[in-house]
Amino acid sequence: MRSELSRRSLLKYTGAAVAASGLLSACSSRPPGAATWSMWSSSPAERKVWDAFSQYVEQQLMIESVPTLTPSGGYPTKLDLQLVSGTASLVTALNGQLIPTYAARGAHRPLDDLIAADPDFELDDFYPASRKISTFNHQIYGIGFDVAPTVLYYNKTLLAKAGIAAPSRTEPMTWATFRELAKELTRPPDQYGFTCSPAIDDLVSWIYCAGGNVMNDDGSASALNAPEATEAIQFVIDLFVKDQVTPPISNLVTESSLANFLEGNVAFMQNGPWQVVNVRKAKFDWDVVPFPAGAAGSTPRVSGSSFAIPSGVKGDELQLAWKLLKTLTSTGALDIYAKAGRNNPARLSAGSAFKPPPDNLGVVRDILAGKVAGGHPFDVTTNWNQVKQLLGQDLPRTFLGQVSVPEAIEGLTPRLDVLMKQHQDNIRQAEARKG
Amino acid sequence: MTPRWRNKETIAAWLFILPSLIGFLIFTAGPVVAAGVISLLNWNLFSSPTFAGLRNFARLGPDPTFWSALGNTAYFTFLSVPLTMLVSLALALLLNQGLRRIAVFRSLLLLPYATITVAVAFVWIWLYIPHGGLVNTVLGWFGVAGPAWLISDHWAMPALIAMSVWKSFGFGMVVFLAGLQAIPQQLYEAARVDGSSAWQSFRNVTVPMLSPALFFVIVTSIIGSFQVFDQALIMTNGGPGSRTTTLVMYIYRTGFENYDQGYAAAQSLVLFGFIVVITAAQFVLQRRLVHYDN
Repeated sequence: MRSELSRRSLLKYTGAAVAASGLLSACSSRPPGAATWSMWSSSPAERKVWDAFSQYVEQQLMIESVPTLTPSGGYPTKLDLQLVSGTASLVTALNGQLIPTYAARGAHRPLDDLIAADPDFELDDFYPASRKISTFNHQIYGIGFDVAPTVLYYNKTLLAKAGIAAPSRTEPMTWATFRELAKELTRPPDQYGFTCSPAIDDLVSWIYCAGGNVMNDDGSASALNAPEATEAIQFVIDLFVKDQVTPPISNLVTESSLANFLEGNVAFMQNGPWQVVNVRKAKFDWDVVPFPAGAAGSTPRVSGSSFAIPSGVKGDELQLAWKLLKTLTSTGALDIYAKAGRNNPARLSAGSAFKPPPDNLGVVRDILAGKVAGGHPFDVTTNWNQVKQLLGQDLPRTFLGQVSVPEAIEGLTPRLDVLMKQHQDNIRQAEARKG
Repeated sequence: MTPRWRNKETIAAWLFILPSLIGFLIFTAGPVVAAGVISLLNWNLFSSPTFAGLRNFARLGPDPTFWSALGNTAYFTFLSVPLTMLVSLALALLLNQGLRRIAVFRSLLLLPYATITVAVAFVWIWLYIPHGGLVNTVLGWFGVAGPAWLISDHWAMPALIAMSVWKSFGFGMVVFLAGLQAIPQQLYEAARVDGSSAWQSFRNVTVPMLSPALFFVIVTSIIGSFQVFDQALIMTNGGPGSRTTTLVMYIYRTGFENYDQGYAAAQSLVLFGFIVVITAAQFVLQRRLVHYDN
């Protein structure tokens, strides 16, 4: 039996399909008038902090706050897709390492005009290191919410048991002293002297302390083959391969200095104050001290994160985005963040909210204020992901003793030089866009 | 006369095909066409793209990571597919021996295939721990000192292959078992009457009658293996060095971590080309090697 589909029915079904697709596309766009913001969040404890932030935003701005929380691993990809599809939030959190990457590609807008037009906004209340991390090509692209130097955690219980005096709370020990201590405290396979990540993120602190860097001052060529950088890398690799003061690496992907330290049988851990919240779960007494001083002093990596506004935000939305960004980085909001122990806040006025334990946590603020030891803002390029990938391929093999440090650096240098040229091209393109 | 397209059966047929067709057009054909266009562009995702001509394809030649990733992918494919086929076939033959509670065994053996790769990968990371991991503990019982599997230059890829074989043999086993159970018993009886040994029956009856299933599993396994990504990402992140960096992993990093969409699209088209050529070769060979009963 045959039956016909009437023209009216056909139009009706087509109309329904169009309406359904319209509804779907509407679901993915930004809710108008709401304070939308994006942030990474990987645990219920983090979510709790961002929920408190959201309530704070609603109290301050008297509008609905809509946070989009994504696990940290997937955050950059989700943000990229939202930026490309025009569905990004009014304000998005950015890891300081990626600010030049996004800024150079025009994904986020500079904030200098908004800052200049707002007399109430006190940029000086933010640590200089945070401002530097948020700046690309002499323009500010983000307002920091946290900033902190890498410090040295130590297991007080373990040191006391070994009859070794606790390190100075303010004076960084020398590399030589640190190495001797790490060796003295190592009794494999039961006890180890030191743990850090076998990756560039941790290596740079040693490189900076030796007076070196990954790239030269203008970011046009690799500087890993400079004596300072090579010596620093060799020092760390010797701790792993020659002195064997670190727990053996069984997997480069899952290797975690935090997990090693929490085992309770490692004396020292290199890490940032952002891990304080996790180390508080330790079943032993511990504290933090300044990072060991190399030839250039104690100047480890200082890293931080910021809030930024996507380039696609314009008109009335831009004003709302700026208000929202100011609220999210206000002293009140950062007090919530610091009181929850997440990390050291980027504002000086919120600093006192990041409270002990550990006893010596205040050293973080003193380092940032230049009163004790020092720090070096993380120098990154506009193609830092690529640089990290390259360094992540060959440098970890030195930690395993599979290749020597000079061999690894010799292989890396020409490829790093190519990436530095790309970085220069990215800067030129960004300047052309600006012009 | 009613036009044929307004015929109710024709419309019903199209409606049944439509979900699959829409899915194919949006998620398969569309991206292939888009990749073709994007491969001709310089595009960092955020700024306006510019025309690059064939420059992205020219970049492939001197890129050592691309060739290393291609080599690793080929190594993975040409080792994991035959091993998976062998294990699948052996288990299917075993289950086809009239075992009692065959459904229980079949379900148990299918479990690895039904489990998500991420979970399996994490379990295997634990199995491969050099000191105290199950694999090295078992090897230790036989006096063999196992290597640090996932950080070893030589053993990282074989370790991934072993995990992948374990993860995927269930699919082939089920297909082979279905194929084995469809072989008429008269053929084996005739072979026996003719004095065939078990091996001769297997070679002259089982293999030809099972060849369509073998062909199907080979084609799908090779395509799947060329696209290997998640286990390498989770278990080794492409290391040590670039020993386990696969092509799809490199494409993902190029496109979504390095924001070089044009170059990533060019790489993906080359991978697509490889898969098409290998699959086409298999289809040419199947005319000679695959026996269809009808």
